[in-house]
Amino acid sequence: MADSGTWHRVAALDAVKEGEALPVKLGDTAIALYRLDGQVHAIDDVCTHEFALLSQGFVEDGAIECPLHAARFDIATGRCLAAPAERDLRTYPVRIDGNDVYVSAA
Amino acid sequence: MFLRNYWYVAATDTDVGRKPFPRTILGEPVVFFRTEDGTPVAFEDRCAHRHLPLSMGKLVGDRLQCHYHGLQFDKTGHCVRIPGQDQIPPNAKVKTYPVVERYHWIWIWMGDPALADPDKITDFHWFDDPNWGAKASYLHVKSNWQLVVDNLLDLTHLAFVHETTIGNAARAEHAVVKVTRAPNNVVVTRWIIDQDPPPTFQKVGKFAGHVDRWQIIDYVPPAFLRLDVGATATGTGAPEGKRVGGVTMRNLNAITPETETTSHYFWGQAHDFDVKNTELTNNIFEQIQTAFFEDVAVFSAQQRNLDLNPNAPQIDINADTGVIQARRIIDRLRGEERAAMQMTAAE
Repeated sequence: MADSGTWHRVAALDAVKEGEALPVKLGDTAIALYRLDGQVHAIDDVCTHEFALLSQGFVEDGAIECPLHAARFDIATGRCLAAPAERDLRTYPVRIDGNDVYVSAA
Repeated sequence: MFLRNYWYVAATDTDVGRKPFPRTILGEPVVFFRTEDGTPVAFEDRCAHRHLPLSMGKLVGDRLQCHYHGLQFDKTGHCVRIPGQDQIPPNAKVKTYPVVERYHWIWIWMGDPALADPDKITDFHWFDDPNWGAKASYLHVKSNWQLVVDNLLDLTHLAFVHETTIGNAARAEHAVVKVTRAPNNVVVTRWIIDQDPPPTFQKVGKFAGHVDRWQIIDYVPPAFLRLDVGATATGTGAPEGKRVGGVTMRNLNAITPETETTSHYFWGQAHDFDVKNTELTNNIFEQIQTAFFEDVAVFSAQQRNLDLNPNAPQIDINADTGVIQARRIIDRLRGEERAAMQMTAAE
């Protein structure tokens, strides 16, 4: 299932650690993987405000804070929680197969 | 606005002696001297009578005598002699500042004297620790102090500003930078794992194989930056916090605002190998100093443009993460000091 269609292997599961962001590429798209309470989430890695890479920011209370201008996004839903960003981040379906993390671009 | 309730480095210990030493700090003129028993003292460098800098005067015992009309001030700042006048008005005194001598520096407290706890002085023990060789110096900078802080929190400038000096040796190719933060601390960490040691480290470290290298920048406000740079043999556990052998250097920086557009830059370099070899200490110091001269030229050029248009827009890039976190701490502390002052004023 995981190697068919739109699913892409992007990382090893044990590389995704609680409290940290793991930047990966989904084709040309910069996304980041997070682990919250064991569950892996994949969201866009580029801040919707001014193009900072969010994975270099700060994971706190289930949110990622932009390293530059302190916009915050919910990791599980991609929802924008704090200015100066206004738009939400796109989220991607995640599937785990053994120690492999697959993300769907569909 | 300056942060006042902090210890700042005001002078090198050898600057201050029995000859009055003037220095502007946080926009205030200050004069330093030592009493006959060697204790450092700091006054506002302004006679209570007609504003002449007291540093133009001279010491008479433990009294500082003004050059203009000969008024004498004791080490507590009180006027104790007015030539030709027996009565000394009670308000004939100059402001004094808490002063502490530590790590071969003279530290000053420019804020509320009641809060001047010497335990709050930032640790720079490397300058008088027998396990380290170290040399320190001073640079006058023609820029706002925060430009110097910015510089030390983003080492991606090494490859460009210091291209022909320390740039190549210090460059960490595609290394991942991690920024961590606490309420009053920013740490920027860069690891380069399992690579050949750079020539500078190999010369002193004599490594048999690959090394793990680190660059750790530790910032505490207002303007203290302590850099920890070193290497140990790969696989000995340095990334996990266990340092075995290897070589370590510290680049130590304390920046003190002079005015809004000029700064005092105290810095030094320490090393934990061959620590008694003063020739080595000097060589390391001079290599870094050459690079610091390059930085100082950058600061003044930035400031000239900022003076022409302080509100010109600027962009932020990912490498600014540490810089921006530090500036946020400074902004928060400014707000806290302002609020505390307003409360005091309201009482």
